[in-house]
Amino acid sequence: MKEMIKLENISFSYGAVAAIRNVSLALPAGVFGLLGPNGAGKTTLMKLLLGFLLPDSGQGEIMGQELAVKQKSLRRGIGYMPESDCLIAGLDAVSLTAYLGELSGMPRQEAMKRAHDVLYYVGLEESRYRLVDGYSTGMKQRLKLAQALVHDPKLLLLDEPTSGMDPNGRTEMLELIQDISKKESMNIIISSHLLPDIESTCRQVVIMNKGRVVAEESITGLKKDNFNVYEIKVVGDQAPFFAELQSRHCRIEEKDRALFNVLLPGDVAPAVLFQAARQNGVQIRHFRQSRTSLEDAFMDVIREADGN
Amino acid sequence: MEIREKGYRHWEGQLQTSHLNWLPIARNGVKAVFKKKFAKLVFSLSASTFFVFLAAVYVSTKPELKILSELVRLLKSDAELFNTFYTNGFLTFMLVILTIFSGADLISADLKFKAFPLYFARPLSRGDYLKGKFSIVLFYLLSFTLVPGILLLLFKMLFTGSLAVSPLLLLAILVFPVIECTCLASLTLALSILSPNTKFIQIAIFLVYMFSHSLAQILKEIFKSDYFFLVSLQGNIQQLGSFLFGVKPAYAYPAWLSLLLPLVISVLAVWFLTRRIRKAEAGA
Repeated sequence: MKEMIKLENISFSYGAVAAIRNVSLALPAGVFGLLGPNGAGKTTLMKLLLGFLLPDSGQGEIMGQELAVKQKSLRRGIGYMPESDCLIAGLDAVSLTAYLGELSGMPRQEAMKRAHDVLYYVGLEESRYRLVDGYSTGMKQRLKLAQALVHDPKLLLLDEPTSGMDPNGRTEMLELIQDISKKESMNIIISSHLLPDIESTCRQVVIMNKGRVVAEESITGLKKDNFNVYEIKVVGDQAPFFAELQSRHCRIEEKDRALFNVLLPGDVAPAVLFQAARQNGVQIRHFRQSRTSLEDAFMDVIREADGN
Repeated sequence: MEIREKGYRHWEGQLQTSHLNWLPIARNGVKAVFKKKFAKLVFSLSASTFFVFLAAVYVSTKPELKILSELVRLLKSDAELFNTFYTNGFLTFMLVILTIFSGADLISADLKFKAFPLYFARPLSRGDYLKGKFSIVLFYLLSFTLVPGILLLLFKMLFTGSLAVSPLLLLAILVFPVIECTCLASLTLALSILSPNTKFIQIAIFLVYMFSHSLAQILKEIFKSDYFFLVSLQGNIQQLGSFLFGVKPAYAYPAWLSLLLPLVISVLAVWFLTRRIRKAEAGA
């Protein structure tokens, strides 16, 4: 399959600070989550994809078009929802969306018609004639999504799409993203620090740390490949019990008083828990397999990358 | 929330490629300025010079209005007439007000509301963005200089019943406002990108106009040299006018310097703007 995004050894520095280091990526069509701690290089990578920044070295292609060379024609096919609270003052939502549609190359009347459609779609139909200057944060987020969709891009770059939204608004935004992602010809990259957002909208993730791509795989694969999680409640002297588990490369995380998550490496059977409990004279009063969260997997990948 | 009944729908149309993709910026900006409070007042005052000169042209071409034509004796030479029309203090003042009114917030508002990512995520280059913004200011400035200048010439022909016009004069009528307005527009945009605070930009433009002339006058008094009028906006406009219309120079320094200076200012302003926008785009 032809890759939607193909990057080869892309590097970028802000002066002496390396923000992206030899990043190589080959993402097929689909919906991808871009994860990473602060300063990992996610936003810089998005700016490079949009051509806001030019790579110091390396090369890449987006939808078959060479990065940093065909910027104008590249951007024609990209819809970008920025993280920052941006707007064009003095316009109502319809005018703003239509205006940006026109700037993307849409005929004027078509842009106006489409602006109404996308504003209806994102749930701003009733406030579309209000000046955007007075919009709430949630409304601005919806408007930013609408302007990113107005020219019907092939690739949608969403930077923190639920940032600053209340729980209801966040759910609605995620539902919209899920709906858009159902369209076969729509490719989406979502950068977010909210792992549940990524988990609910993407099947594949790219994890970045310190300017490098440290993992690039499916969410299910990422969870399975690392460990199994069991929730246990322990009565008795916990210290020797946990020491023994740690000696077998298990990780222990305290959830509540006497309630722990034990993370067993994939090749360690859960029976080990009971053997260790018996040997150390503790009782396991509660035992339940937990779902491995993306956060656990994410933390594991980051720790591993930091260790290297 | 339910996903809007039919879910996301693709747009069936085709995106167009055009070298004029800055045109929506210009159109949108021109409309926005027109909707501003006090727009009619500013436009009326700016146009008033034209009507005064139109009346003067009418009077000067009618022998039966001999008494009145004495009052406008200076305007009997075409070159003098158009030079005075373009370089008179009131019109220059109104052009500064127009730049403040139409151009001060053009980029500073985009800085304030962080609009750059919205623009530059589109197939729009920095040059396109600048062309769009530049043409907004230029549209309004030329509407009150070049357009009335041409109208004045046409009316003069109509009143005198003669189509004879010197090619050099025609060239000067067309070129003078273009140079003057290009310089003012680029200077305005260069100031507009300095701060997200529009009030600050408005004051800065006004200060450039007011203090550049006062400073030139002070320096002239101290050093007894007219060359200091090169730092004056009004001084340069007057000197450029006298150079292009071939009338007696307002100041004792080579008038071509006042032709060179606006061009240098424009080039420097565009260079500065491009750098600042590149920086803003990278930080978007």
